[in-house]
Amino acid sequence: MKKKTHFKWDKQSISTVLYPVLFGILLLILWQTQLLHKMIGADTFALPLPGRILRIIADNKSTVMKNVNATVIVAIGGLICGSLLGYLLGIIATIFPKWGVGGLSIASAISAVPIIAIAPILNNLTKDFSNDASTRSMLAKTIVVTITCTVSMSINAYRGLNELKPFSLDLMKSFAASKVTTFIKLRIPNSVPYIFTALRVSVPASIISALVSEYFAEFIIGVGRQIRENIVLAQYATAWAYIVVACAIGIMMYGILLVAEGILLKGRK
Amino acid sequence: MIQIKKVLSSKYIVTLVWVIGLIILWEIGATVIAGSKRSPENILPHLHQIIQSVFTTNKVNGTQTAFQMVLSNTGTTLLRAGIGFVIGAGIGFLLALLMNLFLPIEKILFPYLMMIQMIPILGMAPIVLAITKDINKSRIIIAAILTFYPVATNTLAGFQSVAKEKHELMYSLAASKFEIYRKLMIPSSLPYFFTGLKISAPMAITAAILVDTLQGGAGLGTVLSQSLKHATTIYIFWQIVFLSAMIGILSFYFMLLLEQTVSPYKKKKKK
Amino acid sequence: MANLEIIEDEFKERDASLPRETEIKIENLCVTFPDKNGGEPIIALSNVNLEIKQGEFISLLGPSGCGKTTLLRTIANLQDQTSGDILVRGLSPREIRLQKKYGIVFQSPVLYEWRTVRRNVCMPMELLGMPKKDRTARVTKMLELVGLMEFGEKYPHELSGGMQQRVNIARALAIRPEILLMDEPFSALDEFTKEKLHEDLLKIWKKTNKTILFVTHNIQEAVYLSDRVVVLSPHPGRVSAVVDINLERPRPIAIKESQEFNALVSKVRNSFEGV
Repeated sequence: MKKKTHFKWDKQSISTVLYPVLFGILLLILWQTQLLHKMIGADTFALPLPGRILRIIADNKSTVMKNVNATVIVAIGGLICGSLLGYLLGIIATIFPKWGVGGLSIASAISAVPIIAIAPILNNLTKDFSNDASTRSMLAKTIVVTITCTVSMSINAYRGLNELKPFSLDLMKSFAASKVTTFIKLRIPNSVPYIFTALRVSVPASIISALVSEYFAEFIIGVGRQIRENIVLAQYATAWAYIVVACAIGIMMYGILLVAEGILLKGRK
Repeated sequence: MIQIKKVLSSKYIVTLVWVIGLIILWEIGATVIAGSKRSPENILPHLHQIIQSVFTTNKVNGTQTAFQMVLSNTGTTLLRAGIGFVIGAGIGFLLALLMNLFLPIEKILFPYLMMIQMIPILGMAPIVLAITKDINKSRIIIAAILTFYPVATNTLAGFQSVAKEKHELMYSLAASKFEIYRKLMIPSSLPYFFTGLKISAPMAITAAILVDTLQGGAGLGTVLSQSLKHATTIYIFWQIVFLSAMIGILSFYFMLLLEQTVSPYKKKKKK
Repeated sequence: MANLEIIEDEFKERDASLPRETEIKIENLCVTFPDKNGGEPIIALSNVNLEIKQGEFISLLGPSGCGKTTLLRTIANLQDQTSGDILVRGLSPREIRLQKKYGIVFQSPVLYEWRTVRRNVCMPMELLGMPKKDRTARVTKMLELVGLMEFGEKYPHELSGGMQQRVNIARALAIRPEILLMDEPFSALDEFTKEKLHEDLLKIWKKTNKTILFVTHNIQEAVYLSDRVVVLSPHPGRVSAVVDINLERPRPIAIKESQEFNALVSKVRNSFEGV
């Protein structure tokens, strides 16, 4: 049988795209015409018009990019370190299940400690690592992000390495496969979708913790810090510009993750 | 003998050993830091020092001990977080209900609901404060925003995961829409609703503390930043670290308890 | 296990000498599904003609894709017909559904996991607006009927598959439906449980005098249970034969070893086309 390859634009799929886009445009119009301000009781000073926000971003491209770079490096660096560490912990917990599971439940309890609490401690801890304030701030922030990302990855990795299809372990045993072979051929491939489950949590979390740890960092740089600094200086339009940038970073990183997931998990479901 | 063996190999012992292990690790770290740094209490004080600070009778601000000060501010923060959490959970549930009832609303809002997850809401806390000009309102709003979307997305997923046959059974009995929601949709989405609550309860508390740090007034976050700026004793900071961790964990278990009270049946886990 | 004394006040056994009335009449029924990729529509049922009498036990038998479930779902008004007529007691399937005259038993038990066994059986009666006192009495009767008296306060996950299916049958019978529609209700159960439920179902059927439509892909099951077996063949789904099962009732399990039984099984098997 021949399968039709082209996608048909029926009424359903048009409205799926059209409705939210129209809603977004309506929201922007309300905002630009200041009707939104009347609805929530704000003034254009605290909630500047979209046009002005975009102009500020365009006018200060190089400064904005410098701050974006600082935030993204911290977020991605911490994300990678934390995910690798978390996966490693998941493997260790799989090798020593009895003690490992207990450790993971402790780890998930520790993750309830608000990030704002770890950030200042790490600032103090990293003081001796470098004479350069920007380097040691970067290190402190990256560690904060690493810690937030480790927990969700370790728990999901453990689940992925252990929630195997029924009888698949028996099948490996019937081949007299070694533990290492079982890991490579069965457990690790099985854990790939779980890695993405973890990343769906930790990608947004990495950005949030990067932004918040910037609040407490010694060296003044990053999108999060700019939001706060500009608010303190009552430059709300600039603060909004950085908020828009922060949202854009969040959406872009999540988008990249979804694309990667689509490619790597193709044919699994 | 067998009894003792059972207890020894139980989950609790494993957890206990881990806790003891972590305490030892902490103490080793504290000892190393105490030997090498000038003000070790800023980095890693000994645990007994923190516990001592809880029970000390020294007044830090003339009228209250450190722990009394922490406790009195905990109430403020928790109340705001709680109000925001309840409002957020209510809005989240209603939104999921509306989205499930009216397809156009789902189509309009679903992409935005997904987008909120990717936006660092906590980063927006200062601007909410700037708009509302009221720290209490900001705390509630931020806690509510952080609560509403896990609740909304999970509840919606709950509505949509109801098996087709269950719908057909209601249809074959000519049940009205109201009856279908009351007898089928809402009860079967409850576990999902609670999953949302369990995710957002610790988040609401974190949010409330963070918003506190933005401005003076009262609240755990305010005292925390004062302590970090050495306006009061640094041990207040350490007390808050442990207290907020405990509140975060307790809020999760409180939701679990609530769930078991509301829906006493236990789902069989096939393992 | 099934305790039948309790329902004798409600249902009268049919007098065999009276002529049976027509319960369901199907004429030139066609059901087609639109192709998802925009191609030719798929014909699920083509030109089905069937007349079912009140109190008959009818099996719809065939391989997967033959439209047996579609036929059941169309009668139940869970699926719209494309052309042709279905009349149930002179009314459309929709009207019968709105009158709550159907009892449906699906392949999976479809029990509400947050309700106890008692409250599961009770659910359709709540929709019917029955007073609470009547409901409680009726639930007790139904549980006695299917032999689950001691399990009323259990939750579905605490029961075995066979017990869950019993609850399902009790729930379907609770609102006194005129027609019982069963979609492969026992196909997920083991052979021993299945045989027990076959016997019980036949006893319940005899006492309640309901019309039963029973979808299955198991030839022995269809022959053992039915008055008539409607054989459906695929591509396109159609009725290829209707085989009368004139075995004596009640039918003991041992009947399955008789020559008569096996001859009927062969006859049914040979009436499939193009499988």
